[in-house]
Amino acid sequence: MALPPPREVLDGDRVLRVNWLPGSDRLRGRCHCGAETEVEDPVEMWEWLLAHPDHPAGGASEPVAEVPPPPAHVVTDPARVRHRAPVLV
Amino acid sequence: MTSIVRNQWYVAAYGREVGRPDDGEALFSRTICGESILFWRTEAGEVTAMSDRCVHRRFPLSQAPSRLVGDTVVCGYHGFTYGADGGCVAVPGQTRIPRTARLKAYPTVEQDSFVWVFIGDPDKAESTRIPRAPWLDQEGWTVVSGMEPLAARASLLVDNLMDLSHETYLHGGYIGTPEVAETPITTEVDDAAGIVYVSRHMADAECPPFYAKSTGIEGRITRWQDIEFTPPCLYTLHSRIAPVGVLPGDDGSDPDAFHVEVVYAITPETENSTHDFWAVARDFALDDAEVTDFLRENNRTVVLQDVTALDVLEQVIAGEADGYQELSINIDTGGLAARRIIARMAAEGTGAPAANGAAVRTPAGSGR
Repeated sequence: MALPPPREVLDGDRVLRVNWLPGSDRLRGRCHCGAETEVEDPVEMWEWLLAHPDHPAGGASEPVAEVPPPPAHVVTDPARVRHRAPVLV
Repeated sequence: MTSIVRNQWYVAAYGREVGRPDDGEALFSRTICGESILFWRTEAGEVTAMSDRCVHRRFPLSQAPSRLVGDTVVCGYHGFTYGADGGCVAVPGQTRIPRTARLKAYPTVEQDSFVWVFIGDPDKAESTRIPRAPWLDQEGWTVVSGMEPLAARASLLVDNLMDLSHETYLHGGYIGTPEVAETPITTEVDDAAGIVYVSRHMADAECPPFYAKSTGIEGRITRWQDIEFTPPCLYTLHSRIAPVGVLPGDDGSDPDAFHVEVVYAITPETENSTHDFWAVARDFALDDAEVTDFLRENNRTVVLQDVTALDVLEQVIAGEADGYQELSINIDTGGLAARRIIARMAAEGTGAPAANGAAVRTPAGSGR
């Protein structure tokens, strides 16, 4: 059973909307000025929407191809070490 | 910079928590946004709130043998006596009352079963919205409610509640089913009104025990979750449960569905701890004590599952440098919007410029 399309609940003059497109990983955003964009990243989406009235041309930027290596989780406070137990070998 | 939003109304207590204690009993006190506040009722039944420290030697007025005498509170250490407006009306051994002998008084409002207190400049209280949760004190609804202390910053509870996909994993066997995490959301933000609205409508979903046992529905359900958050404090989940395929009528009536309003008031205690007020209002089985007991126990269990997880998360985050990397994906769209509005409100309260962008705690990483 299919549900009706998403309702638009808020009725203010400056409502920003982001719909997660069914069957995909993409988000479609619509500014209150009518400008629209699609992207896969909610952070990029909010940056684009909040740029009103200067929404970047060409839509929100897609993620860069090259990603940095993951960082280590650095713990500096001994009290924050989560698991610590003596070991006998 | 503080993360606490000032010049806002916060839930301080349920009305039933604040009374007129007998001699020898402690008066009611709670720390709200880092401020220790004494609450009591006048003889006319009005709630009043003031600083919980005597101006003389800082003795807590909530501490016995401090006590109420008529519409005054008498410090149990040296007898400084304060009226309902926080002004000192008597000091020991002399007739002159020092001009500075006043307690900070807080605006309060009792509404929707809550005691709301205004934190910030009292002159701004009247013009500042108090969000509503009418179901908690309304004919036609039955309510269970409670409060759990959370040893974690309020923003972690906001993140938690704005993204209900976590129900599938953290609350499996209670309120979570696979469909919650699998179903896309829609997000609306009204900046001017200060509202974030997140909808997740599941057409054909497993019925979790929380709803199966309370509604009696056997089989699969149409389940709607509509979150309405008015930052910084009040969160409501409009939950609609019905047998698969049963939708509201064209005229808006919805007689064949079960409605539950799940309300949370997220009140910072300190920068790193929170009062987690929770309430569940239902429009069915209104007089069924068994359903009431079940929902009270089951929802408290769910709340405590969150508390356990968030208490751990607070410890982890507190030990990290600011700006530690995190990752946001589609399920976080509403939570990011809430963070941004709260950051803007916090900046307005301090006069600092608002952070630009949605991910306030996440400068190092984004949803890549």
